[in-house]
Amino acid sequence: MTTHLADLTKTPGPRPGAPDGPVRLAAEAVRLAYDDRVVVHDLDLALTEGSFTAIVGPNGCGKSTLLKALGRLLRPASGQVLLDGRAIAKTSTREVARVLGLLPQTPTAPDGLTVADLVARGRHPHQSFLRQWSRDDELAVAESLAWTDMTELADRPVEALSGGQRQRAWISMALAQGTDLLLLDEPTTYLDMAHQIDVLELVARLHAERGRTIVVVLHDLNLAARYAQRLVAMRDGVLVASGTPSEVLTEQLMADVFELEARVVPDPVAGTPMVVPVRRLHGPKLPAPA
Amino acid sequence: MTATDPTATDPTATDPTATDPTATDRAVAATEERPAVAPRGRGTTVVRVGPVSGRIRWRHLVVPLVAAAALVVVSAVSLGRGDYPIAVSEVLRTLVGLGEGTSEFIVLELRAPRVVVGLLVGAAFGLAGALFQTFARNPLASPDVLGITQGASVGAVAAIVLSGSTTTGELLGGLGIPLAALLGALVAGLLLFVLAWRAGIEGVRLVLVGIALWSLGSATVEYLLTRAEIYDAAAAYVWITGSLNARTWDHAVPLAWALALLLPLALAASRSLAALQFSDDTARGLGVRLPLAQGAVVLIAVVLTAVAVAAAGPVAFVALIVPQIAVRLTGGSRPPLLASALLGALLVAGADLLTRTVLPAALPVGIITAVVGAPYLIWLLVRGRRRSTL
Repeated sequence: MTTHLADLTKTPGPRPGAPDGPVRLAAEAVRLAYDDRVVVHDLDLALTEGSFTAIVGPNGCGKSTLLKALGRLLRPASGQVLLDGRAIAKTSTREVARVLGLLPQTPTAPDGLTVADLVARGRHPHQSFLRQWSRDDELAVAESLAWTDMTELADRPVEALSGGQRQRAWISMALAQGTDLLLLDEPTTYLDMAHQIDVLELVARLHAERGRTIVVVLHDLNLAARYAQRLVAMRDGVLVASGTPSEVLTEQLMADVFELEARVVPDPVAGTPMVVPVRRLHGPKLPAPA
Repeated sequence: MTATDPTATDPTATDPTATDPTATDRAVAATEERPAVAPRGRGTTVVRVGPVSGRIRWRHLVVPLVAAAALVVVSAVSLGRGDYPIAVSEVLRTLVGLGEGTSEFIVLELRAPRVVVGLLVGAAFGLAGALFQTFARNPLASPDVLGITQGASVGAVAAIVLSGSTTTGELLGGLGIPLAALLGALVAGLLLFVLAWRAGIEGVRLVLVGIALWSLGSATVEYLLTRAEIYDAAAAYVWITGSLNARTWDHAVPLAWALALLLPLALAASRSLAALQFSDDTARGLGVRLPLAQGAVVLIAVVLTAVAVAAAGPVAFVALIVPQIAVRLTGGSRPPLLASALLGALLVAGADLLTRTVLPAALPVGIITAVVGAPYLIWLLVRGRRRSTL
């Protein structure tokens, strides 16, 4: 972790996540629904250049759905998502794919696909029928493999990798896509703790060293607090709190959002807030959104 | 910024070549044995001419070439076989225009249409199967299993059986068997797409809907046969099995046009197919316009199936097995399109040659492909190594 903090301080250019940076991705009164079931209610959110945001909340709070809408995978029932100030729904799929990359939860690769081929497919939005393997493509793939430490495994089939390696391969693909923004849906699912750290370190390096604007849906609050600069807490499709980890992760919020009585203490390693659960609360639900 | 910006390279990256200033130059040396920068896989050559660039995987080139060479041999032998045997050398001379009158008539007018229809039908089925299997992410998804060929059978059998008996039958009969089959296949394809579409196409649902359509088509064909005159039923039955008997150039020409148009389109869609192999979300994240790409692929595959069925009947299992054989020969993660087409042609031409030489009675070619294909289907179902298998 200490290396990550050191990386942050030595990063040149505007300080990542500067709250006054230009807004890259924004949700404006976005209402998201599957058929008639409304999952996210009129939500506003602005993500600035170079920020690292984690969306947290209990199961079924709509956080993955929100991420889908931010990535143009789900059309809002009302409201709109803006990418660099333009309505994302009116931007072509290919244009979006050059600016915004996304890693779905537990992505699947076809059998027989090698790591190198997987990463190469990240170049799809930059290629055309005639221009199928340019020098840029080759360099981007080689560099992405090296950067994620996957060069050695490049000729292995993806299905032969361990869970942690597989996730690295997918992140390598997202890196090769060369997008400024990167949305990740629970990239640590099914990984053991060491590999969760491994993946999040990689994401943190993408942010700190490559200047990527990161939005990640995470279940683990302590890891979210440690790696993200900004937390967005959701419950029942409503944005409940947003701010730095210390602002958001309070004992009150744990009760309100997770119905959990918890102590929040400083993480002995990183100093970020750390949630220590006490017991489950069965208190009254949050008041309905206005 | 882009990922290719060398100044943005992580100085602590474990691979020192990533920051090597000469990396760009070395990347250009495309034919280098062990590339310094990109592990581009064994047996791959990079080609760059002006703005055009691509990667050639040698196995993807060698397999079609060998298949094409084998096709020439099989076709030449096939053209020589029959009641009036002609030597292969004489067949080849005739094909380049140096043959004598008798053999010219026999080879070009009597035998060539049958062989050409066989080749084209096999190519169309192989290509259609490769397209369906890639887009559905499921090796079971072939036009046979998905009920497309069954739809064509309904059209054709209806045209044979009903012509003259009812007004709709009159209409179908007027269309002729090929057009009726085409219509049946297109209707089945449309039904499949509409019924299986739910905010995207999902492989397993597609296969299940396809099997339902197949049963429906099968029942309809049976019903039509029970109502048929015995002579019509016999004719329809031969057609259902898939036969190359008595084919003429009239059968071959529409098929050749369809392939000439659709093969380049399919090859152009190949890039999208590579992205479609992933989940819908990943494919869209890579910039693929999903409904458009999937719709185009399905349409190409359905029309290919329809014209092939119209020409020779539903030659069983070619579209199912050929793409899987092809992908095992070329390696990689998806059935190669060109190799599938050529191997499909080889399978049908070879099966036809077999029925006319080794076997005592001239069986319809569809029986041979079914005999080969059915055990393969069982093996595919039993094996279950591939996660995508139903």
